[in-house]
Amino acid sequence: MSTLTIEGLRVEVAGKEVLKGFDLSMQSGEVHVIMGPNGSGKSTLAHALSGRPGYKVLEGSVKIDDEEILGLSPTERARHGLFLAMQHPMEVPGVRPVDMLVAAGADAHELRERMTLEAQSVELRSDVLDRFVNVDLSGGERKRAEVVQLAILRPKFAMLDEIDSGLDVDALGAVARRLSRATSEWNCGVLAITHFRRLLQELTPTKIHVVTEGRVVATGGPELADDLERDGYEPFRPANS
Amino acid sequence: MKIFADSALSFISERPDATERSRAWSIFETLGLPTTSDEVWRYAPLGELDLDRFLVAPTSTKSADSQFASQLRDQAGLVVRVVDGYYEGSDSLPDGVTVETAERVSSLSGDSILARYESDTFAILNDALTPATTILRVANDVHVERPIVVLNTTSGVASFSRTQIVLGRGASATIVEYFEGGHNALVVPLSEYEVGENASLRLVTYQRLDSSAWHVARTTGFLQRDARLHQAVIGMGAHYNRSRNDAELLGAGSHNELRTTFMGSGAQVHDFRTHQFHKAPRTQSTLLSKGAVAGESRCVYTGLIEIEKGAKRTDARQTNHNLLLSPHAHADSVPNLDIRENDVMCAHASSVGPLDELQLWYLESRGVSRRDAQRLIIQGFFYEMLATLPHDLAHLVEGDVTSTLELMKVDQ
Repeated sequence: MSTLTIEGLRVEVAGKEVLKGFDLSMQSGEVHVIMGPNGSGKSTLAHALSGRPGYKVLEGSVKIDDEEILGLSPTERARHGLFLAMQHPMEVPGVRPVDMLVAAGADAHELRERMTLEAQSVELRSDVLDRFVNVDLSGGERKRAEVVQLAILRPKFAMLDEIDSGLDVDALGAVARRLSRATSEWNCGVLAITHFRRLLQELTPTKIHVVTEGRVVATGGPELADDLERDGYEPFRPANS
Repeated sequence: MKIFADSALSFISERPDATERSRAWSIFETLGLPTTSDEVWRYAPLGELDLDRFLVAPTSTKSADSQFASQLRDQAGLVVRVVDGYYEGSDSLPDGVTVETAERVSSLSGDSILARYESDTFAILNDALTPATTILRVANDVHVERPIVVLNTTSGVASFSRTQIVLGRGASATIVEYFEGGHNALVVPLSEYEVGENASLRLVTYQRLDSSAWHVARTTGFLQRDARLHQAVIGMGAHYNRSRNDAELLGAGSHNELRTTFMGSGAQVHDFRTHQFHKAPRTQSTLLSKGAVAGESRCVYTGLIEIEKGAKRTDARQTNHNLLLSPHAHADSVPNLDIRENDVMCAHASSVGPLDELQLWYLESRGVSRRDAQRLIIQGFFYEMLATLPHDLAHLVEGDVTSTLELMKVDQ
């Protein structure tokens, strides 16, 4: 059992403070969902946790169990069990997924076979796995390929940045079921950033956090998604902003 | 004492064609070595070049093949061996293939070597000082299945190999010109290729000399009607790696593909020049130059596409991408066009820059170490250069690239 704890996180991007004291705590096997309007800092959180260049931490702490990870390189953060499935995964020409995963520490034994099985579970054509990383993949294929990597690398905590965009309803269902299975299979903690409830139909959230203007303004159970669906984010916005 | 000149004159006096060689030598003496004020040599560290460090080899000095050369030999259908520029023999020849040597030859252009290369000091030196020209011919309509390897090794001398490869009408072959050795040596190969009507030559020039060597190479392809010359030039070794690769598209519908690749480290200088000369209609040239420079190494790519009046519907493309792997490395790209016909298609693209930070981060965010991420992306950068090589050879070269990368410090 592991814990991911984010406390008082302030992050600046391009000279602008985007996260303004972000707090969140979750355990292995839980599913936490972050919802919020555009520009509220959801993706910034995911990128800052993964150590994306240009994301400057001003203050705060992010721990996996008792270890502070903000001082670690992106590689070390990943090796401590943090994975980010990106909203816009980069193309890496000339690099094959298999070679990337082996370099990332995946067990090379029967890797290709395991990748094929994982691709099937998210309805991704397996020949896509032989192409260079994200090169000539559609938006939806990239998202599914991210989930294949996630399933191979088995992180303690998986962050998913709008995994639902670019996926059709059937593919989204398959991805949600795969993630749900991950929470029991290796007790994966899932932190999903999304605009849509549909993901949550087959991936039951432990908690939903509403984020506006760089911090969590409300936390609740699955019923919070219904409130958002009905009323939008307006009731959660700070007054006079 | 003038070591170079004395050894050169003594070499020349022993040759049957000493008169012609002396003429070339005296032209060299008049011209002298080029200087960096000469545009064609502006990137060469000529100030460091002292010819008196080199002795013109009176005979060949054999040495054991490297492991790489043995592996290459194992893949070959025919090995032609040249040591210090001296032809040392070959295996038994496949049907339709002949190898001979000649003391004095003309350029495959039909001109004398002197006339053809009149302004090129190093080619003139080659004319004076080559032991002999190794001539490899593939007869009309003969398809040579397995690769032919011309294995050039050099000891620590000045060596001037000369090779002519002639493919008859409708013939096809894969030929590897390979260079190794050359500790503290000056290596000046001059090669010419004639690709006959509707013939197809797949050529790989692999330079893997010692990092102390000076390598000043020049190749020219002459393409007849509907001929195809696919040439890959790979430069890994040498202190100064000069590679000039020209093609004359003489016959209508001929096609030249040239891919030049290099990897610079330490204080290496990689100096690539190309000249694609379109003289006939519907000719095509595709040129791709890709390299990486680390440490304090430098590279320059200077390419000229020339299209003659009347070479209608010619299609010529030049692409140059360079990776900078250290803030002290430097890359220049100098494309030139000289077009005297309107009905043509020409395109040029070039880029110079460091490894992409976001690609690195993407791999790192999966748990790949910084160093492995750099290695994977650099290997990926070279992938398209290796993809067109014959499969077994690509495998060998890839291993070479990987082991060089492991020694190379990426300072980024």
